Amino acid sequence: MSKQYDAIIIGAGIIGAPIAYELTRMGYKTLSVDKLADAGEGSTAGSCAIVRAHYSTEDGVAMAYEGFKYWLDWENYLDHVEDEKGLAKYMNTGSLLIKSQGHKWRDVQKHYDAVGVQYEEWDNDKILKEIPVLDLHEFWPVKRPEDPTFFDEPSKMLEGGIFCPEGGYVNDPTLSTHNVMRAAEAKGAEFQFNAEVAKIRSADGKVQGITLTDGTEIDAPVVVNCAGPHSFKINQLAEGVWEGCNIKTKALRHEVMYCPAPEGYDYLNDGYHQSDGDIGCYVRPEVGNLYLIGSEDPDCDPQEWVDPDEFYAGKGGHGRDNQLTDEQWKAQCYRLGRRVPTLQVPNQPNGVVDLYDCSDDWIPVYDKSDLGGFYMAIGTSGNQYKNAPVVGRMMAELIDACEKGLDHDAEPFQYKMKYTGRMVDVGFYSRRREINYNSSFSVNG
Amino acid sequence: MKIYVCVKHVPDSAATITVVDAKAIDTGITFLVNPYDEHALTEAAMIAGQTDGAEVIAVCVGPPSAANTLRSALAMGSDRGILVSTEGETAGLPDSMATARALAAVITADGQPDLILTGKEGIDTEGMQTMFRLAQQLDMPAATNVTALELAGDHVLATCEKEPGTREVLQLTRPCVLAAGKGLNTPKYPTFPDIVKARKKTINTITWEQLDMVPAAGGIEIEHLEPADEARRPKALEGDAASVAAELVRILREEAKVL
Ligand SMILES: Cc1cc2nc3c(=O)[nH]c(=O)nc-3n(C[C@H](O)[C@H](O)[C@H](O)COP(=O)(O)OP(=O)(O)OC[C@H]3O[C@@H](n4cnc5c(N)ncnc54)[C@H](O)[C@@H]3O)c2cc1C
Repeated sequence: MSKQYDAIIIGAGIIGAPIAYELTRMGYKTLSVDKLADAGEGSTAGSCAIVRAHYSTEDGVAMAYEGFKYWLDWENYLDHVEDEKGLAKYMNTGSLLIKSQGHKWRDVQKHYDAVGVQYEEWDNDKILKEIPVLDLHEFWPVKRPEDPTFFDEPSKMLEGGIFCPEGGYVNDPTLSTHNVMRAAEAKGAEFQFNAEVAKIRSADGKVQGITLTDGTEIDAPVVVNCAGPHSFKINQLAEGVWEGCNIKTKALRHEVMYCPAPEGYDYLNDGYHQSDGDIGCYVRPEVGNLYLIGSEDPDCDPQEWVDPDEFYAGKGGHGRDNQLTDEQWKAQCYRLGRRVPTLQVPNQPNGVVDLYDCSDDWIPVYDKSDLGGFYMAIGTSGNQYKNAPVVGRMMAELIDACEKGLDHDAEPFQYKMKYTGRMVDVGFYSRRREINYNSSFSVNG
Repeated sequence: MKIYVCVKHVPDSAATITVVDAKAIDTGITFLVNPYDEHALTEAAMIAGQTDGAEVIAVCVGPPSAANTLRSALAMGSDRGILVSTEGETAGLPDSMATARALAAVITADGQPDLILTGKEGIDTEGMQTMFRLAQQLDMPAATNVTALELAGDHVLATCEKEPGTREVLQLTRPCVLAAGKGLNTPKYPTFPDIVKARKKTINTITWEQLDMVPAAGGIEIEHLEPADEARRPKALEGDAASVAAELVRILREEAKVL
């Protein structure tokens, strides 16, 4: 006998959980299934969870700014639900975007003006006053330490940065997902763990439900793919869905490093989130007075597209499995070491490796599909954690509109953002779009 | 004053170790400075910083790739490095008898040591033999698990941690071999300027055959290597907070015996 729901959400990560929450609030009887043991244990667990507004497109900036409002108002968003594990905390450090050749910062500034993002322009003196440990020479272009010119003496100086007082990070991305799950459950949503989807059943161009690896069949007229780095595998299970996407997704390996802050510098309490295209790194404080160092995937670095199952099983070997590599440890720490010359770099790599669910143009796909009732919130490309609560609401409204007869492909759904009141043309995230060449084709989105 | 620091090239303790052919581990993983040796390097750099004309020489017996490990030692303040390359005939890890002889030969050929520092053990083989064998080869006194040291004339005062909770202060004549324990200092890791400086320092590579040494009469060979089963068996405690806490205390006291 099969169970019956209004909607099944595949994946209980930071993208899937808010969709389940919002659909439930709209009256849908939802079931979230995840093959892992609890919410937020997939790639969300490896997320740096940085909340910053700078994106290369105006829509990107608007979405991030809207998302920021949710994190500020987290308890309200959760409708004051109790979570036995406690609530995740948003840490508002402020966010500095270094003006560099590695970022289209002039575009970002234009988008800030258009969206109304608060910001200040900081010259080098002001930056040094706030962050005395920095060396503001220009090191561009980004190189690898294996390249002898990496060590060349710089001659030019940077030209300051753009500081947003609103920006920071969430201290525990897994916990934040758990919070959303508890909020959704309080409204009647169900979650099933250790449940792996093996089949997506359909008939007459309509999705009918899912079948788990243990043979359990669960039916629903709506199925949403929120499978993170496994998104392409789920799309391939659904009839005609993969083929109907002009924009595809695949899993990209990404290493994040933890390096102790220089002696005497309280980075945890005094530091900012910083995006530094000049050295191809972004950083934020981490517990233990550590610098968390992410990479902006500069062209000189290898890109490892991997099979997510092999990766999570620790297979594939050096540079393809879920272990840090010494080369990348040195690359990211030495790059930051140029900017922060008193940074001490331990010999032993420390950090996390996880996967981006990357789309062809590093912009997500938030859309219906060519199979009736089958939707996707995928291709989050390493930068959608911050937007997840917005995506939850937007996807729920999109699904509801389509189920009520909207032809979203012909007449794209327009979503009104709750806080900023801006309209989003959801067609921007269409699976059928041509590659968006305004994108940065990087984690900056 | 010449301070020699013996540095071992070991697998990263966080790496996934895979055994190949029941004889060796798959070496396609990160190798780095043996963590105990980091304390020895830090101490050596500190002593040298306080002593006019002092020189710190990092010595490593290992494969050619161990040059990276030596480069890390140079970035941590050593002035130059010597690699005894175990490529070719001697590939694979030489045992502690052979390693101690090689270290003794290379140090003797290089100069007159005032002090030889090592880590208290290699985290890979955990043999704890090499430093004693080295001291024996050079006819020097040795002390291990050193948590503090002080140079006093032609002596060294070394504080050594014995079983947890006891410490002894030893007076050793110089030169001597001292093996650093964790408590000796907080390792001082290199900054980017240190790394730049280290690039210009020299690493002299010597092959095994070039060493002037009498081979050991005996030796140890790995017969069979297999991964140790470290399966953790987690157990969830059920019940209200008070009974969970009581049960936890009982486990810590009676089963784990840590309270
Ligand atoms: C290293 C790293 C750093 C990042 N840093 C930032 C940042 O600073 N700021 C930011 O905004 N974004 C960041 N991101 C991006 C952001 O974290 C991701 O976009 C987001 O977490 C993706 O969430 P998700 O729910 O789509 O994926 P996941 O959390 O991976 O969830 C997908 C879930 O689907 C489940 N699943 C897959 N296949 C099946 C199946 N067949 N059956 C059942 N369940 C299945 C998985 O078990 C998993 O739990 C980062 C990402 C990474 C990897």
